[in-house]
Amino acid sequence: MLGTLLSILILGAMISAVYALIAIGFTMIFGVGGVLNLAHGALIMIGAFAYLGLTSTGGMLSLPPMVGFVIAVAVSAGASYAMYAGLVQFIEENVVITFLATVVLALLATELVTFWFGTDPYQLVPLVAGSLHLENVGTRVRYMELLGFVISWIAIGLLWYYVTQTDEGRSILATSMSERGAQLTGVDLDFVKSRTWLIAGAFAGIAGVFLGSLLSTYPVMWLNPLAIAFIIVVIGGIGSIKGSVVAAYLIGYLETVTIQFLGSSFQGIFSLVVLVVVLLVLPQGLYGREFVHE
Amino acid sequence: MSSETDRSTGSTRALGDTWRSVDDGLRTVGSRINPVFQPLADGYNRLFGAYFGEMNGLQFLLIFGSLLGLLTAPFWGTFSLVQTMTIACIWAVFAMSWDIQSGYTGYISFGHSVLSGAAAYATAMLVYNVDPEMSMAVTIPLSILAALVVGLLIALPTLRLSGPYFSLITFVAVLIFYRLIRPFSEYTGGETGIQGVEVFTYDPLVRYYYMLIPMLVVAVALTFVARSNIGLVLMAIRENESAVNAAGLDATKFKLWSFVLSSIPMGIGGVLLVHYYGSVDPTTFVVVDNSIEMIAMAVLGGMSSILGPLGGAFLFVVLEDFLLEGLPASARWTILWVIILLVLVFARDGLFRKLWHKLDSYGHRGENR
Repeated sequence: MLGTLLSILILGAMISAVYALIAIGFTMIFGVGGVLNLAHGALIMIGAFAYLGLTSTGGMLSLPPMVGFVIAVAVSAGASYAMYAGLVQFIEENVVITFLATVVLALLATELVTFWFGTDPYQLVPLVAGSLHLENVGTRVRYMELLGFVISWIAIGLLWYYVTQTDEGRSILATSMSERGAQLTGVDLDFVKSRTWLIAGAFAGIAGVFLGSLLSTYPVMWLNPLAIAFIIVVIGGIGSIKGSVVAAYLIGYLETVTIQFLGSSFQGIFSLVVLVVVLLVLPQGLYGREFVHE
Repeated sequence: MSSETDRSTGSTRALGDTWRSVDDGLRTVGSRINPVFQPLADGYNRLFGAYFGEMNGLQFLLIFGSLLGLLTAPFWGTFSLVQTMTIACIWAVFAMSWDIQSGYTGYISFGHSVLSGAAAYATAMLVYNVDPEMSMAVTIPLSILAALVVGLLIALPTLRLSGPYFSLITFVAVLIFYRLIRPFSEYTGGETGIQGVEVFTYDPLVRYYYMLIPMLVVAVALTFVARSNIGLVLMAIRENESAVNAAGLDATKFKLWSFVLSSIPMGIGGVLLVHYYGSVDPTTFVVVDNSIEMIAMAVLGGMSSILGPLGGAFLFVVLEDFLLEGLPASARWTILWVIILLVLVFARDGLFRKLWHKLDSYGHRGENR
């Protein structure tokens, strides 16, 4: 019993760390631009496939995994920026058009990837191979999972430092609070928004490589993580980084417990129950503020 | 409208000039044709104008010409075109149902495939689990009822949410519904679904009319509702919800009605689809892509106009299944999504609304002469 508990504790922490990365990127874009980026999931998929193309022996290149990882993250950050600069900034004044356009963009990316790679799942080369056998707990933790946990916290820590301690980062925070207020104090909105998209894309890229290696890599791999990101973001409060982290762990653990005791087919159903309860009790989420139109 | 032409420079200006001369040509032709059909349109306007909106001769020609084309399709179309149009009829029902709820109120639902899925699964499960001999006279009303119940189940908690929150939850609803199918596979057939549902008929010609006629009924009914005060209130909710509340109308109640209005035809569409295939399974009925396709059709034709989504659905399905038939699936979908993206960015109101307004202006020119 203690063993099961400990293994839930460890496995839950690993998956929650990846969920937190996805949710933070998603919530930042909404918080800053008011844009619901449904193509966020596609960025996860792009990250995983970029890593696959760069590192796999079957691909044209077979770079060392660490180099591949860095480039894959850069690719998905770049894709995210391109999405903003090439499309979203021209239509963002219309919320409905924007999120319909991002859905279509996600599906378009999926079809393009399907065209090149097919629909069969791929196995990614792990960043670090091997696993740690915890005998007294009776579970096995892959080094890849541990690394995911560590990298997630490093990324979140850096983001926290950037957003609260540097002027550039604080302008992001300011914009998310009040766009007009930020503008009046001399914040360059376009610059802030493109940086937000870059950061969100990078976070999605990291999450993509880890999700792709821990589970598997195929064109519609982004759908479930995106849904989980929605649930997390709504529970945590749209626009709140802290809320996303807390809710990510809540949902991550809930899922791990569900899988452990009820089997994987019930995964996600309890998350929805929690979601409905939170919505009924706290419509703005745990750390959200009322979404005010200016 | 004019911002697109403003941006044109250099080489694109030549294109603009060509377009303008084509436009002028069409205008002249249009103004000559318009008077021919104007008397018919006037007759229509006197009888039905108050309920469905008035139109000029050209618009009359478009609507009734298309109607005639649809009704006679088996006599002029090839086998595969009629086959495609049979499917298009069902998708048109979905697109129109989505539109009366999401297009009109601005509460964009990503979860509409759940409603058609619920109806289809209800039919299949009644036959599979309860009584294989159950007649359609029982299963059809029950299935539509199932769609309505599921629609209200989604509506009641989610309508507390506004704008993007609402869309997020409807999106999640599809994924949950999809996932619930597997744990209960003993009743739902799991991933492989349920086979052995009776089909309406194996005769492709008769089948076409089995799909076309309900579609036309839904189209007329929804156009009637959309043109009535209810449609007006739903549109007002999209424009400014607090103003609707301030005017003493309960916006939530109307949003709930929009769900009812949408769930029932979704149920009809689901029933048509299950009796078309004779089987039900999660990938053809529930997956989130289905919901997005409904939205894409509505966007293509023009949101918040019932007949726009109808046209959009036909355009979409005919493009996918007929015109681009030879290409591999992913290439076909890439082309379709690029088209939808372009329409979203450059013709937000949709292609059919553009056409409608063009016909309107061509017709008016004729009257002035």
